[in-house]
Amino acid sequence: MIRLNHLPTLRIKPGAPRSFRYGRRRLQGVDGDTVATALFANGVRVFGRSLKYHRPRGLYSLDGESSNTLVNVDGVPNVCAETTLLAEGMRVSSQNAFPGPDFDLLGFMDALSWAMPAGFYYRVLHKPARLWPLAVPFIRKMAGVGTLSADFQAPGRRDEIYPAADVCVIGAGVAGMSAALAAAEAGLRVVLFESRPWPGGAFEYRPGTARDGVAYYRKTAELAAAVQASPHIRLFLNAPVIGVYSDGLVTAFQRGRPPHPFDERYIEVRAASVVAATGCSERPLLFDHNERPGVMQAGCAHRLARTWGILPGRTAVFSVGHDLGLEAAVDLFDLGVEIAAVAELRQDGLDRALVDALAQRRIPLLRGWSVTKAHGRHRVTRVTLAGPNGRFRKTIDCDLLVASAGFTPVTGPLTLAGARLAFDAHTGFFLPASLPPRVHAAGRLTGRQDWHAVAVSGRLAGLSAVHDSGIDRTAAIGESIDELASLPGPARGTQFVLAPGSGKKAFICFDEDATVKNVDQAMDKGFDVPELIKRFASVGTGPGQGGIPGHNLPLYVHQSGASPDGHPRPTTVRVPLTPTFLATYAGTRLDMSKRTPLHALQVADGGRMERLGVWHRARRFSEDERSREEILAVRTAVGMLDASTLGKFRIFGPDAVKVLDRVYVGDMTRVPRTRAKYSAMCNEDGCLADDGVIVCTGDNDYYFTTSTGRAGMTVEWIRYHTRFDDWDFGIVNLTDAYGVINLAGPEARTVLQRVTDADVSNEAFPYMGYREFAVDEIPVRAMRLGFVGELSFELHVPASWMVHVWNRLMAAGGDLGIRPFGLEAQNTLRLEKCHVIIGSESEQRTTLHDVGLGFLWHRDKPWAKTVGDTALRQTEHQPGRLKLVGFRMADPTAPLPGDGSVIVDRRIRGYVCTARYSFTLKEPVGLALVDDALSAEGSSLAIHEDGCGGRLARAVVTETPFYDPEGLRLRM
Amino acid sequence: MLGLRKRIWTPRPVKSSYDAVIIGGGLHGLATAYFLARDHGITNVAVIEKRFIGFGGSGRNTAIVRANQRTQENLPLYKEALDLWPVLTRELDFNLMFHNCGNLNLAHGEAALKAMRLQVSSARFLGIDSRLLDPKECKDLVPALDISQRPRYPITGGMYHPPGGIVRHDAVVWGLAKGCSRRGVHIHQGTEVTGIGFERGKVAWVDTDRGKIRTPRVLNAAGGYSAGIASRLMGLRLPISVLTIQAMVTQPLKPLLHHVISSGAYHCYANQTLKGEIVTGAHMDPWPNFTTQTTAAYIKHQAEFVTEFLPCLKGAKFMRIWGGLADMTPDMAPIIDGHVPAEGCFIDCGWGYFGFKSSTVTGRYMARYMATGECPEILEPFALKRFQEHRLMGETAALVDYSANN
Amino acid sequence: MAFTITCPICGPRSGYEFRYGGEDKGPRPDPAQMTPEAWCDYVHMTDSRPGVQKEWWYHRAGCGTWFTIYRDTTTNLEVAPDSPETVA
Repeated sequence: MIRLNHLPTLRIKPGAPRSFRYGRRRLQGVDGDTVATALFANGVRVFGRSLKYHRPRGLYSLDGESSNTLVNVDGVPNVCAETTLLAEGMRVSSQNAFPGPDFDLLGFMDALSWAMPAGFYYRVLHKPARLWPLAVPFIRKMAGVGTLSADFQAPGRRDEIYPAADVCVIGAGVAGMSAALAAAEAGLRVVLFESRPWPGGAFEYRPGTARDGVAYYRKTAELAAAVQASPHIRLFLNAPVIGVYSDGLVTAFQRGRPPHPFDERYIEVRAASVVAATGCSERPLLFDHNERPGVMQAGCAHRLARTWGILPGRTAVFSVGHDLGLEAAVDLFDLGVEIAAVAELRQDGLDRALVDALAQRRIPLLRGWSVTKAHGRHRVTRVTLAGPNGRFRKTIDCDLLVASAGFTPVTGPLTLAGARLAFDAHTGFFLPASLPPRVHAAGRLTGRQDWHAVAVSGRLAGLSAVHDSGIDRTAAIGESIDELASLPGPARGTQFVLAPGSGKKAFICFDEDATVKNVDQAMDKGFDVPELIKRFASVGTGPGQGGIPGHNLPLYVHQSGASPDGHPRPTTVRVPLTPTFLATYAGTRLDMSKRTPLHALQVADGGRMERLGVWHRARRFSEDERSREEILAVRTAVGMLDASTLGKFRIFGPDAVKVLDRVYVGDMTRVPRTRAKYSAMCNEDGCLADDGVIVCTGDNDYYFTTSTGRAGMTVEWIRYHTRFDDWDFGIVNLTDAYGVINLAGPEARTVLQRVTDADVSNEAFPYMGYREFAVDEIPVRAMRLGFVGELSFELHVPASWMVHVWNRLMAAGGDLGIRPFGLEAQNTLRLEKCHVIIGSESEQRTTLHDVGLGFLWHRDKPWAKTVGDTALRQTEHQPGRLKLVGFRMADPTAPLPGDGSVIVDRRIRGYVCTARYSFTLKEPVGLALVDDALSAEGSSLAIHEDGCGGRLARAVVTETPFYDPEGLRLRM
Repeated sequence: MLGLRKRIWTPRPVKSSYDAVIIGGGLHGLATAYFLARDHGITNVAVIEKRFIGFGGSGRNTAIVRANQRTQENLPLYKEALDLWPVLTRELDFNLMFHNCGNLNLAHGEAALKAMRLQVSSARFLGIDSRLLDPKECKDLVPALDISQRPRYPITGGMYHPPGGIVRHDAVVWGLAKGCSRRGVHIHQGTEVTGIGFERGKVAWVDTDRGKIRTPRVLNAAGGYSAGIASRLMGLRLPISVLTIQAMVTQPLKPLLHHVISSGAYHCYANQTLKGEIVTGAHMDPWPNFTTQTTAAYIKHQAEFVTEFLPCLKGAKFMRIWGGLADMTPDMAPIIDGHVPAEGCFIDCGWGYFGFKSSTVTGRYMARYMATGECPEILEPFALKRFQEHRLMGETAALVDYSANN
Repeated sequence: MAFTITCPICGPRSGYEFRYGGEDKGPRPDPAQMTPEAWCDYVHMTDSRPGVQKEWWYHRAGCGTWFTIYRDTTTNLEVAPDSPETVA
């Protein structure tokens, strides 16, 4: 197609061709084309087929309000052709049509629409009951637009940014740009979002003249130049706003184009004030076959010519209800479109100059007339017009029908910001009745259509935003209000909805093929509020989310008298205002995880790393899922575990010990300098929250450890439970400052003694002792603990020296068979000793008593008001609780029951917490939480595991711990 | 077509007395009213709804049904509920659109596998089909899954629960309303309960903005608002935190997911509706509130997380997010009780975000409770006193993060 | 919703930086005196009334302070402590 290439308003470069594929065809567009305009320029009229009835659909608007022009681009379904800029080499294909949009095998569905009244799924498809399961696969296959393959990999680069701003202006039309400039003049930081690829909104393409005689597009371009020159305004083009939240949070995404280093990026702005200047969209006119290809909105037809140099048709009929439509008719005539007739819904209030212009061009103007039907199977060939009250009719041949009932303010962002809307009879708009603080509205969405009035209302909003920030703008605001008062006020709008006709094929919602008749059917069933009608009749719940029916539905329901309170009610607007790729929302996906200082060493040693909470940890160091070699090394020689993820804290100050007494169940008043004290923290329910070791490192100075998972909560937990006490203490989280090496095994002392001058003999450093000494001048805090059940030293080392100390120990133990061990080995080792891991042997409702740690509770410290103390008293002898027990299999050669297997009699009586094969004892051992009636030693347990086929495994509750019950190995 | 113009339910004038008044025109309230009428002949019942029926959680949930809970106290309720959908479809002559597609819950580590084995073993002991899968079997079931080591939390297995699926939630609301209305129950929309009156230690009336209604039985089934109604009008404080839970859908696609897929580690689920939209949601912002506002952080996180294990969804677009209220209890199990704080007062709340699945069955038992005054055995474990007796139900193993007690 | 909380140390910040600490119920009662009812009321029970409530927050991603604010739970907006709505 030949483009008009001398228009000053063009946004394309006719000399820069872009080739692309459409199905099997090779086509050419030009730089600046969208996919939709390029297809249209190549003669494509039917873009796809509709969801339910497979009706042909074409270009209707240019801002993606409907799903008519959703296409597949490079394997990505549901790409909006209207808002996606054409790129060289794109592969475009149509959707929901086989073999193609021009001839679709399922086109016959349209003839069956009578059989599918609103809600027919609910009322018909279950009779008989057998029918429904058979219908489901068919319905699923028919539903949905666009195909996404299961192995699809999203192409493209992503980005995300979080700019701060004083003012966020939504919409870079005349009002938005004026608002931005007013705020920028005061030195405020402005973020300005525009969904189209260029600023200017409703005026940038129009050759008509403002009241000062200058063409709209020129005036608008001057404004845009000022915006782009302002150092205070950050203008995001191609960036639709998708969310507006309270407190000035605005989200958007931006489609990149060279030289942007991204294809799409997510933008989140926190602004002190928000200005919504989102303008209007056109309200569809409802008549039979109102969505036939060849029917389009006035702005669509006009912009195709003015912006992209494409004549939208050869012979056009207009059926409009606003001056913008008349203006388009005049201008398209001048550009070479034959205008057969202009039907105008309004009898009066028309712009005189435009009426004269139509007359000069001998274009018939039919006041009070409207289109009632579009004819033609795949595209418009003829239209029927009817006079006032449907009395006269005439049919005109044409290939373009420009139809537009009026304007709809784009109020999505305002509503999301918390504005309350009320219906205004003069404009026919839902106008903001009240705005939240620091939110302002300006421009065409307030009903004003005059260039100057729009600009001044924008300036007023900008000044108000400046005023919000504390800069006094009372005088300037007053001037703007006066100026606005002297300019044309909000234009009177039509409330016309339905042209005379049956309404059977008048589509109120294109996306879901919902007609006016379907809405009637829903109202007949008793649905009276638009929100429910929407759900029952599926209106505005499709891919375009109410872009087409959003305004007509409330008006139609209101006019039908169904609305319960007699007022039109808007339907709910929801985020995202423009459908947004999950890829774009996901952005760059920074993974906030932590590695211990030994991470690289662990990996080099063959560690199988996995994520546990925020940490990466080594589960094992070989293929063996049971970690036999690691376990045997610890039991017979020596091994080392990277335990750096343990929580580590310093608490100090005159009241530190009171704090410890508040949160720990034990008595903290006497922690000697040379001993480590093991204790637990409970929640108010007496349930186990944490356990760890406390040491005293100085006067009123303590160091304590917590479990890995709890470390992030410890400071807030302690401060929470002391928040009323006004105690004098400080607490520091040292978790990342120290690493921890657990050196364990009968040879542990030998290894340690080789790297330090300190005396680490059993006499000098006994079990549960605490010492501070140096390894190569590196200060080390050492505790003799025994989680794995052997002689072991927990060495707390400054994080930066961890690698050095680890390597020294490794070297020192080389001849003794030292090796790293992982979490799996640790788990079996500690299980043999029946040491609990919180979360593994306890659940939310498990008390200190339940796991057999009641001995840690010091009941005689009422002064401490210990957290959980009350519940520990009340549950101490409570029957019917789940208790932790150790068990062995009745037959030691029986297979190991899986963790989580349930223990049953006639009911479920408990479950296996952890069970492992003990290489030391050469049989399976386990810990289980069972009903206390079954917890006595010698009780028989029946274990039901998934897949056991009803054959229960037998186990016996036995004495614990399984390994070294006297604890001699710990003390050697 | 016959019956095309017949209203689904009919507005009636408010009477001055009813045999039972139910606060809340959601699923629990409507189901209770329906079974009061159907099973116990108590048809002089009013359902009082402040907005419109299905306005709250009933119309905002994501319609997933399953019976793979953690405890034997909960499982039977959910199992019965699964069996009831086809029955109710027939009985109400309204297609509830039960789509028995099965649920796949993903494990991302040792601990999750253990938790699943507990659930699977419990379910199978109680005769409910559920099984553990390895990653390869998960992938065979759901080809879109990424079972490689690439995700932050690689998939280590899954729990497949064939009896579950999805039900059209709006249809259940409308179907029950139809059933109620046909049996003479009055549904008063746009009506607010403003007070509850007691006489001699028994419930005697409710005040509404459309007048006083005398009644010997009141059920508080107001979902997210029930705790506030209990503390304000019944003088009964409940262990409930009301949080906003959000869900969102993509634009409709041709069939891609054939099961409900969920992941604990990523706090999300995804399934494809009959219309082709992929619904996803799950995580909650942990501060109590009564707004149904959505948050920017949430939709972003959801996109990050769901595309970790279903990477192809990056090519889909979110088109709508919405919020609803979840009345969370400390043990993630509901509170169902009667004659608290006074005779004739019943509560059915604390259902959090899982109140949809067993609403119909709970309604049936609650109706029996209200009609006979005797608590059915199956509801006994849900009594309020469990909190002061330190007997939380164990529906969740982990400490919940919305409670200040953890 | 962009929930904003004013930390007494750090000023207004995104709500996601904070952890909620429950309705304000005053200091812990004396454990020795606590019946199961009183204990449960203090630990578990809430008012959960829509409207303004006094509540605890902790600045987790900030200064680490526990403090109270008044918030309207029907709007998620903070309410000034001296506003008439804060009187229960």
